[in-house]
Amino acid sequence: MARSAAEYLTALEPRRRPELPDTTTGTLRLDARENGRTEHWYLTVADQHVEVSRSAEDADVVIRADRAVFDRLAAGDTHISSALLRNDVTVQGNLRLMPLLRRIFPGPATARHPRELGRRAAPRRPGGQEDRR
Amino acid sequence: MRQERVYVLAGNAFALSDEQGDMVVDPHAPVGLFSFDTRFLSRWVLTIDGERLNSLSRDDMTYFETRFFLVPGAASHYVDADVSVIRHRSIDSAFHERITVLNHSAEPAEYTVRLDIGSDFADTAEIREPRPRDVAIIADQERRQLRLRYTRDRFVRDTTVSSTVPVDVDEGGMTFRIRIPPEGNWIADLHVAMTIQGAGGRDLRVDLDEHRHHVRRSMREDLEEWLGRAPQLVSERPALQRTYERCLTDLASLRYLPLSNPGPVPVGGLPWGMTLYGRDALITCLQTMAFTPELAAPTLRILANLQGSQLDDVHDEEPGKILGELRYGEAAAFGDQPSAVYYGAADTTPLFVILLDEYERWSGNADVVRELRHPARMALDWIDEYGDMTGDGYLRYQTRNPHTGTVNQGWKNSLDAITYADGRMPGFPRATCELQGYAYDAKRRGARLAREFWGDPAYADRLEREAADLKRRFNRDFWLPHREHYALALEPDGTPVDALSSNIGHLLWSGIVDDEFAAAVAGHLVSPQLFSGWGVRTLASGQHPYNPVGSHLGAVWPSDNALIVAGLRHYRRDAEAARIAAAVFDVADTLGGSVPELIAGYERHVTKYPVQLPAAGRPQAWSSGGLLMLLGALLGLRPSGDNLLVNPALPAGFGRIELLDVPGRWGRSDAYARDRAGVHPGRRARVR
Repeated sequence: MARSAAEYLTALEPRRRPELPDTTTGTLRLDARENGRTEHWYLTVADQHVEVSRSAEDADVVIRADRAVFDRLAAGDTHISSALLRNDVTVQGNLRLMPLLRRIFPGPATARHPRELGRRAAPRRPGGQEDRR
Repeated sequence: MRQERVYVLAGNAFALSDEQGDMVVDPHAPVGLFSFDTRFLSRWVLTIDGERLNSLSRDDMTYFETRFFLVPGAASHYVDADVSVIRHRSIDSAFHERITVLNHSAEPAEYTVRLDIGSDFADTAEIREPRPRDVAIIADQERRQLRLRYTRDRFVRDTTVSSTVPVDVDEGGMTFRIRIPPEGNWIADLHVAMTIQGAGGRDLRVDLDEHRHHVRRSMREDLEEWLGRAPQLVSERPALQRTYERCLTDLASLRYLPLSNPGPVPVGGLPWGMTLYGRDALITCLQTMAFTPELAAPTLRILANLQGSQLDDVHDEEPGKILGELRYGEAAAFGDQPSAVYYGAADTTPLFVILLDEYERWSGNADVVRELRHPARMALDWIDEYGDMTGDGYLRYQTRNPHTGTVNQGWKNSLDAITYADGRMPGFPRATCELQGYAYDAKRRGARLAREFWGDPAYADRLEREAADLKRRFNRDFWLPHREHYALALEPDGTPVDALSSNIGHLLWSGIVDDEFAAAVAGHLVSPQLFSGWGVRTLASGQHPYNPVGSHLGAVWPSDNALIVAGLRHYRRDAEAARIAAAVFDVADTLGGSVPELIAGYERHVTKYPVQLPAAGRPQAWSSGGLLMLLGALLGLRPSGDNLLVNPALPAGFGRIELLDVPGRWGRSDAYARDRAGVHPGRRARVR
């Protein structure tokens, strides 16, 4: 069972994330709507670290969606770019920070590494060379 | 006889009509008014007293503005009309049309002017068969507006047509009942707004700082400044001058501003590629570095911003991969196509590193190299970690999206493009040869960036070792000694795919060709099998799958030829370079207008004229950029330290050429050249 966005963000470890661009800094506010109320999550990104807090303060970019949409994003079930085009997600502010969310949340659970396909197509040849890497 | 299509264009917004200015759905072409991959008008037909109009003449003023001069009645009638019509249309983020009706008689006249208006809100991905959609229509008599709206869940696209003069509005269009005095005229302005709804019913673009802050200046002024910033060409050949200016203007027309506003970046081209393609944009920037370098930094920045970060089969995404395509339409939004951000391209990632290095060499802009260190490292890591799919050290591709993924992920991306000489198809994952060249070049350039800007000499050493090893293996595994050319690709098990193709020319551009093989490669490129007389064919004739009208099986692409000519000059094959370049300039001269994306591969001496293909659009960014690259390659323009080197090798008949104010880290510098008749080979750089 995939974790909800709230669970995912709560459990987010304060470690360095080498997949985040080291020159990107900024603040993102996620406004998750459900049953007429809104939960705010405040993400501060700097030096490849993400700090999560609960705050309704202004941010460089504010991303709004139904809670269920954030849950699908956090489960890797939907891509934020298509969600934006569908208007399931609305973005106010600096759009350049939006891809950070894609990097912080995991991708689709069923995704394969390209090598899985490659290894199937080219099983090691008998007496052949070792992989070069 | 198919009608000529007429366009106005601004970035990713365009209107494609017939010669009368009317727009009527055609399954073979994206006719209508489009923006952000959505058709906002699919019907726009003008009649006077129930009669369609006939074209007298047209004034294509600029790429964003056209005037149609029309009279009622069919073309076969003797034209002696008492009434004529001028449609003056222009486009920026909205579409405008001024309709002027002139009464040429000595009597007052009454007319019924009717404009049929409709929209199917089709996505650019479904032009051949647009699906029916429920469109809500509001005829607002009071506001003189017709509003068309398509809604699917929260996805809303909205077209609003407004008239400045009194009008009867109905659900199918607008009717003007007018009376014009003798020798008088009547004018109506129609404004068509195209809305992509975001939060609270506002346009999505309004909520984005960046887009809002972009102050739209006069487009004429913008075009003039664009042309003013480009080098000035002085040539004795008027045709060359015309081609040069046309290419610059076409590139201006194909700039668009993505939502995140990194600055203007090139779209692919009209009519099918009006969006950001990683490959087309990167290659266009590489081609135009000496002419319009301002496209490079925004292109690098948006591609870095949207760099892949997760494994995702549907989008063929992997961490570090540079995107293939970015679309905004309904098909992308709802996942019918993975194109909202699609990464199915194996060449974009090394090309990203190549462009970053090339941009610094020309511009001296080290800040961008430092700013983009992380994405460049990710891109270099991607080559080995994800691109090397079988672990044999070669860059390969195979889509993980069997339904809508791209089958061939190099520039030759049609289904049947990668083939043996006898027509068999290789298995997946495929390692096409030019990808190995790009990977080699990316590693070498990455090494330079690591050493000079990132303070990482150990990493630079590693990349250089890997590049040298790749080159050695490549010249062993891809070279076909009996045929004396490189294989088009390798099978997953390493078996060479033996077709003779234009891809071998890209290898020269990348520098991966062993010096001892360069003469043979150059010889093939100008052989009767590959060289049609108009340029190098994608696939050599005499092979089973060869087809002169097949996009990647025999047709000739100016962009492909540009890289080939640049490659030939790298290896000092100046005679072959001049011959091919002269042929492609002949194509541009002979056809006139914008350089098409491709032409048929027929023998020049048979057809005498470049045969255009229906699939080939124009203008196309990398075709227009390609002609500029050819010019730069003939002049031998190259940055060296803080100077511009000039080492010309012009084809006979080019006479004297001056390219003034070439921008770069030297400020502005001039290049002079003369063809061989002038006997001044190897003129040194002139630096002002």
